[in-house]
Amino acid sequence: MSILAASSTTATFVAPHVEFGKLSPMLIAFGTATLGILVEAFAPRKQRYGIQVGLALVGIAASFAAVLALAGTTASVVAQGSVAVDGTTLFLQGTILVISFVAFLVIAERKTDQNQDAFAAQGASVPGSAAERETTRRGWQTTEVYPLLMFSVGGMLLFPAANDLLTMFVALEALSLPLYLVCGLARHRRLLSQEAALKYFLLGAFSSAFFLYGAAMLYGYAGSVNLAVIAQHVAHPTAGSTLLYTGVALLGMGLLFKVGAAPFHMWTPDVYQGAPTPVTGFMAAATKIAAFGALVRVLDVGLGVNSAENVWRPVMQAVAIITMIVGGVLALTQRDIKRMLAYSAILNAGYLLIGVTSTTAQARAAVLFYLPVYGVAIIGAFAVVTLVRDAGGEATDLSRWAGLGRRAPIPAALLAVFLLAFAGIPFTSIFIGKFAIFQAALAAGSPDLVIVAVLASALAAFFYLRVVVVMFFSDPLPQGPTIAHPSIAVKTALAVAAFATVALGVAPSLLLHLANNSAGILAK
Amino acid sequence: MDTYVPVLILGLIAGGFAVFSVIMGAMTGPKRYNRAKYDSYECGIEPTPQPVGGGRFPVKYYLTAMLFIVFDIEIVFLYPWAVAFDSLGWFGLAEMFLFILTVFVAYAYVWRRGGLEWD
Amino acid sequence: MHAVYPLVLGALLFAIGLYGVLARRNAIAVLMAIELLLNAVTLNLVSFSAILRDRYGMGQIFTLFIITIAAAETGLGLAIVLLVYRQRATADLGEQRALAEPVEPVTADELSPRNVEAEVAR
Repeated sequence: MSILAASSTTATFVAPHVEFGKLSPMLIAFGTATLGILVEAFAPRKQRYGIQVGLALVGIAASFAAVLALAGTTASVVAQGSVAVDGTTLFLQGTILVISFVAFLVIAERKTDQNQDAFAAQGASVPGSAAERETTRRGWQTTEVYPLLMFSVGGMLLFPAANDLLTMFVALEALSLPLYLVCGLARHRRLLSQEAALKYFLLGAFSSAFFLYGAAMLYGYAGSVNLAVIAQHVAHPTAGSTLLYTGVALLGMGLLFKVGAAPFHMWTPDVYQGAPTPVTGFMAAATKIAAFGALVRVLDVGLGVNSAENVWRPVMQAVAIITMIVGGVLALTQRDIKRMLAYSAILNAGYLLIGVTSTTAQARAAVLFYLPVYGVAIIGAFAVVTLVRDAGGEATDLSRWAGLGRRAPIPAALLAVFLLAFAGIPFTSIFIGKFAIFQAALAAGSPDLVIVAVLASALAAFFYLRVVVVMFFSDPLPQGPTIAHPSIAVKTALAVAAFATVALGVAPSLLLHLANNSAGILAK
Repeated sequence: MDTYVPVLILGLIAGGFAVFSVIMGAMTGPKRYNRAKYDSYECGIEPTPQPVGGGRFPVKYYLTAMLFIVFDIEIVFLYPWAVAFDSLGWFGLAEMFLFILTVFVAYAYVWRRGGLEWD
Repeated sequence: MHAVYPLVLGALLFAIGLYGVLARRNAIAVLMAIELLLNAVTLNLVSFSAILRDRYGMGQIFTLFIITIAAAETGLGLAIVLLVYRQRATADLGEQRALAEPVEPVTADELSPRNVEAEVAR
């Protein structure tokens, strides 16, 4: 076959049809981010912080309103097959927006740290240099953080909606690139922060290369990057499946990296520990939701055919088991609270992967329920971490947390609520989530996964409860960390997170119902 | 292979012209050598002496180069639009306008923040 | 020319890039290796586009997107590497050990109330 002849084929082009209304949540998010850059360019330095925070919160709220307006419309694939707007998409987008709103309240906090936010006065200046002291004295701030994170939110909204691999790649980069940067901007412990940014960037770029190679293979297999077309080719194969299998494996590596599943989890603890804590909370919650949404869409829409499922399911099950073991065992050995929560995030990715591998509608609904309840709890947990401070930033070493429950009962109690939820204590939202996933996995016929998951949960309960014990049953340290008094915004965020964690554990039926209704609708 | 014959012929003509020009220049032109002619060429200005240790670029150069590359490459999206300009019509024009607008937003940021100032 | 040659070349380029990412210790060299990975992918996409006689040239459009995003990614990556270099005077990845697994993992009774105080006193 000669490849030279191909260049002679020409195509008449038809102007594509773009349904802007259905894309409005993402357009609003990206538009807000672009406006934010204009604010950075033209607004006076003193006023930027206020304008940026207000703009971002209004943008997220407007985008959420757009999602609500679209809820209930018929599921459809818009923009020439690039974006699927269906129940699952809208549910995840709504979740991401709610979580982003809560996360932004924590990110914008200035009261906990001498009227400064968590970000360096100027990202480019060397820590400890005269330039940095000067910028800090003048009260400069890296307000670019807000437009950057809005770009990230836009990417997260597009990621689970993407119905072809090109859109998915663009969304992946739109959500990742700003995060790489923001990770390196912590005000305190800049060294750790910059190292985290470097590691996150290099590994992230590496994994997106795998994603792309997989996409190229699938394109070669199906002649299209559209998930629906790929599904048709999988159902009625016209060629050998070598390209398909290589493509799925490589694409899967890229997606599992974002999800934070073992053995692609190596970046998670380092990045979670080094990044500014409010950003860590945002990443742990929102990125995970977006990435799981994309993973579910690729597996269900693109590879949901039986012959393909039989190929990827055993591998994904193995990944789920490894992820749970790695997350559970390594979390035990941590002495840094942020690192421990990172391993807990890996462990939770393992539970979610169980739901992903059981392809029933019940399992999909369970995954959809688990994502928001987990996201809200992890944001709350990281928000509490921002309050416990030493001279050089947050006191993240667990030994410093001894007796915190006596000195600061409210933050400690809030953290205890989140940790007990992670541990799967009944009457918390995550208990219901775990229960739903395990039940769905049993119904789908994989008891082995459930056994591993229950054992991992027991292990996890130990290290979550250990923190609670350290906080409440040890004597306070003589020179213990100080507890910052947060602004009303962070108090609200914490209250919302704690309330949601308990309320959805006691009365989960509303969200379960919504998840059930949304999971079934997947535009193909 | 037939499609490549004209390309090959063009290549031969171009190569022949190049060889011819060099030889003719050497044969017919005047030969006056001086110090300036033996100097290494640097855009017609006095060559900067090479610093010890291979030399380092000022970081300003890096910033400008990076900005150039990013803005330069973004424009690549105009090419596919130019190819299908006719059939895309007003829709394509409006979309491209929006695209350029977003690039200009980034440009405005760089400009206002002094990214384009050398000193 | 057989259609499989560019694909094999792409796979070899990807393998070279992979080796570069895993074996090189200088962050800039790793960045270059990542570029090599992306170039391997674009080569694959363009040749698939030709082999499949794609009417819309999806592979080529995909390539344009990869080129632009890779440029943005490299700009960002160089900025981060520069930041790290200015701080530590090295871009050696082997030196970036501030964030890593603790050398001596914490044991269960180390965090028990008694030992915590000893820890702080130390």
